[in-house]
Amino acid sequence: MRNNRGWFAVPYVVWMALFVVIPIVIMAVYAFSITDPITSAALPTLDNFTGMGAYLSVFLRSFWLAVIATLVCLLIGYPVSYWMAKEGPRFQRLAMALIMLPMWMNFLLRTYSWMSILENNGLLNQFFRAIGLLDLLGVDHLQMIGTPGAVVLGMVYNYLPFMILPIYSVIVKLDGSLLEAARDLGADGPRVFRKVIFPLSLPGILSGVTMVFVPSVSTFAISNLLGGGKQMMLGDLIELQFLGGAYNPHLGAAVAMVMMVVVVVCMVVMNHFGEGEEQAVIM
Amino acid sequence: MKRSSRVGSRIFIGLTFLFLYLPILLLIVFSFNAGDSSAVWRGFSLDWYKALFQNRLIMESLYTTLLVSLLSTAIATAAGTFAAIGLYSLSKRRRDALLVVNDIPMMNADIVTGVSLCLFFVAFFQGWGAFAQWFNGVQSAVELPVRLTLGFGTMLLAHIAFNIPYVILNVAPKLRQMDKNLVDAAQDLGCTWMQAFWKVILPEIKPGIVSGALIAFTMSIDDFVISYFTAGSSTSTLAMRIYSMTKKRITPEVNAVSTLLFLSVLALLVLNNVREIRQERRTDRQELRGPSFFENLSMRLSSPAWKWARRGGLAAAACVFVAAVALLTGAAWSQPVVNVCSWGEYIDEDLITQFEDATGIRVNYQTAESNEALYSLLKSGGADYDVIVPSDYMISQLLEEGMLEELDYSQIPNFEKIDPRFRNLPYDPENKYTVPYTWGTMGLIYNANMVDGELDSWGALYDGRYAGSVLLINNSRDALGAALLHLGHSVNTTDEAEIREAFALISDASRRGVFQGKVMDQVFQKMEGGNAAIASYYAGDYLSMLDNQADGVDLRYVIPEEGANWFVDAMCVLKDAPHYGEAMQWINFIASTEANLANMDYIWYASPNTEALERYPAWYEAEYGEELDPELYEIMAAPAEVLERCEMYLVLPPETRALYNELWIELGV
Repeated sequence: MRNNRGWFAVPYVVWMALFVVIPIVIMAVYAFSITDPITSAALPTLDNFTGMGAYLSVFLRSFWLAVIATLVCLLIGYPVSYWMAKEGPRFQRLAMALIMLPMWMNFLLRTYSWMSILENNGLLNQFFRAIGLLDLLGVDHLQMIGTPGAVVLGMVYNYLPFMILPIYSVIVKLDGSLLEAARDLGADGPRVFRKVIFPLSLPGILSGVTMVFVPSVSTFAISNLLGGGKQMMLGDLIELQFLGGAYNPHLGAAVAMVMMVVVVVCMVVMNHFGEGEEQAVIM
Repeated sequence: MKRSSRVGSRIFIGLTFLFLYLPILLLIVFSFNAGDSSAVWRGFSLDWYKALFQNRLIMESLYTTLLVSLLSTAIATAAGTFAAIGLYSLSKRRRDALLVVNDIPMMNADIVTGVSLCLFFVAFFQGWGAFAQWFNGVQSAVELPVRLTLGFGTMLLAHIAFNIPYVILNVAPKLRQMDKNLVDAAQDLGCTWMQAFWKVILPEIKPGIVSGALIAFTMSIDDFVISYFTAGSSTSTLAMRIYSMTKKRITPEVNAVSTLLFLSVLALLVLNNVREIRQERRTDRQELRGPSFFENLSMRLSSPAWKWARRGGLAAAACVFVAAVALLTGAAWSQPVVNVCSWGEYIDEDLITQFEDATGIRVNYQTAESNEALYSLLKSGGADYDVIVPSDYMISQLLEEGMLEELDYSQIPNFEKIDPRFRNLPYDPENKYTVPYTWGTMGLIYNANMVDGELDSWGALYDGRYAGSVLLINNSRDALGAALLHLGHSVNTTDEAEIREAFALISDASRRGVFQGKVMDQVFQKMEGGNAAIASYYAGDYLSMLDNQADGVDLRYVIPEEGANWFVDAMCVLKDAPHYGEAMQWINFIASTEANLANMDYIWYASPNTEALERYPAWYEAEYGEELDPELYEIMAAPAEVLERCEMYLVLPPETRALYNELWIELGV
């Protein structure tokens, strides 16, 4: 089998070079240059990066909101996965199907459904008005749309399945005899969870965190629709430079580069930290 | 586990599902709403489903979505399987190195993948253009197309590119588990490699291929961001269509299409579950489960007797598939087309059908959000429009950069009917490039039930009393224009201090939480539904809102005392437009008196066509049997004394434009 089919990989290597590596190189070229307004030639420069301090607050907001969304997803997703794994097979299958199902509707449809709920005159405010809560508070409406909370809600709603699925698939494969052994050796419930189940489910948590954090930190549709365009995030900043109202692909590419690097560094650090933990537990 | 804790856990799981499904349920309920609100129930109806099937834009985008998902899944599954087998014949070191690269598209944020692919395609097109020009110059046997643009092809490539890694990720573990001696054994026993592949490798890794394909399909159908950056202007997936709709008035047709999608996926899942449960029961009864229908089929098909039939069948299926795709795309190509880009809610859509029926030219009608967004689209190389409808100052800017083509007025006899007031304006002094489409003013719109007294100053936009209820217009020129007027400066000032002063006014209001959001066409839904009190927008759109305002909403329009902006939007043709002749026909058709009357009635923007403008009140009376309110007519077609108080935007020098861009981004920060 060896040797004679190595060439199978050649088209793939060419493909990857063409559609993965070269595009990133081109993006880097854009990031390190500007267009001369008169001759429209590309001039090499570092200006796109040195001026980025002005967008520090966008970076901070994006990371902050994404961290909150990821934590909320984890706080909801972990117990759900854990308890789901304890149910019977039929329940599990149904639950899995129900979690996957919304993903087959496009995420914009799901975000759109929240718009009509959170509006000032939307369903939730109408409900509050009907039960007299608004009169009680003496306000005309509760401001929900256009707030950071609405953006976080949109992220949690859209990406929660990405947290549940990997954690669940790790927990459901846990070796039952390990838990028995732990109990036999005298560990009580919480201790079994802390010392055995939780450490063993770390790989699932890590991949869930990655799958929620990365799309959250870079979103622009959610912040646009639910944040009213006021909660500018990194995704919005990039979109604005390419297809939005302030055309400057060089700056957009630079922001995308920085975001890419920061995210990769975060992931690498987190995975290293996670692996160390896991090994320590096993040893 | 104790019973009590199980109840608690089930409640928690149940609540999570409620959270996941309640919004979808509401979406479905409101697809049956008789009114066009997605928050107020007005009785049951199926109207939106009927409207959906007649809505060509949504149906086309649904078709595009399914086609790109299915095609990219099929191609990526085949290519990914092939590549995975290749990877496992390499040494471990090389394989691991390649797998790291394989991870990049999965690790990267979608927006980074989208942006980098977009830049890549555009760079490639530029290189290709230069090559094709040279190639066409040195020989005349083959004519290569010089101008390539983003479209369905590039989007398909992008989808394949992000799907392949998922397929590899799913196939690789199965290959790892497979006993390598099996293939050697098969070959020792006389199998050719092809036979070994079909009979040994494929059955072993089939589960991996199936789950890889499934994930690829899910990713493809759920994608918005990568399509958004690589599809260009003329192709739209359902998600892109919805995104552009959310910036305008969303109609419950979107709810209807969501409901249909949801129900079809639900049906698939239920069918699958029922099948599995049946199998399980059978297993319970017989211990040994008989082969399922599909396994039976595949077993039979893989028996030697069926070999030729199988190959023939595969080949035939592939041919039919390719032929169908070729036919569909070919049909779309052979028909004459004109690509038009305009603004949202800016045409009576019946006109498109009328034009198509009369000329046989298919109109590919797209919309952009604002002049600035249109400019970005054009610059990023994503657009292959023929006709665009920018505003005055943007026309000057496009002309300055040599992006417009001269019009052939001999093919546009209806230009004669354009009022001299709207010819030879500063943006096109010799009138060689433009035919006016509409004109109007931008004033202050407010809900009289949500503010104190009557408003007549731009200052209301920055008034802390209306915190959370003001909508800021989402483009730098109009937003800063209103602030400049309020401060008593010209909208065309190039004085940096004045512009910064205007910006300070806006950013200060923003800090105080005055603005509910930055919107363009979302303004319709917000103002009509009483979700916001004050906005600055265009006169014609105010009249549309007036038509649709909800109970308890009392919308007013005023040209503030400080003055306002008046604008002309005109049809232009882009340089090297691929469908120049069709574009002339379209422009002439739209400039006709009948089309102008229909448009005026539908979008409420004033027409530059003298006949249409004069005849409209009489036409309205004949059509609706009631007199047109002269006050409304004056709002639509501002009389001379109002226009005198208004200023037209002129193109700003590049430094000032850069300042506008810089400040505009800073506002979001």
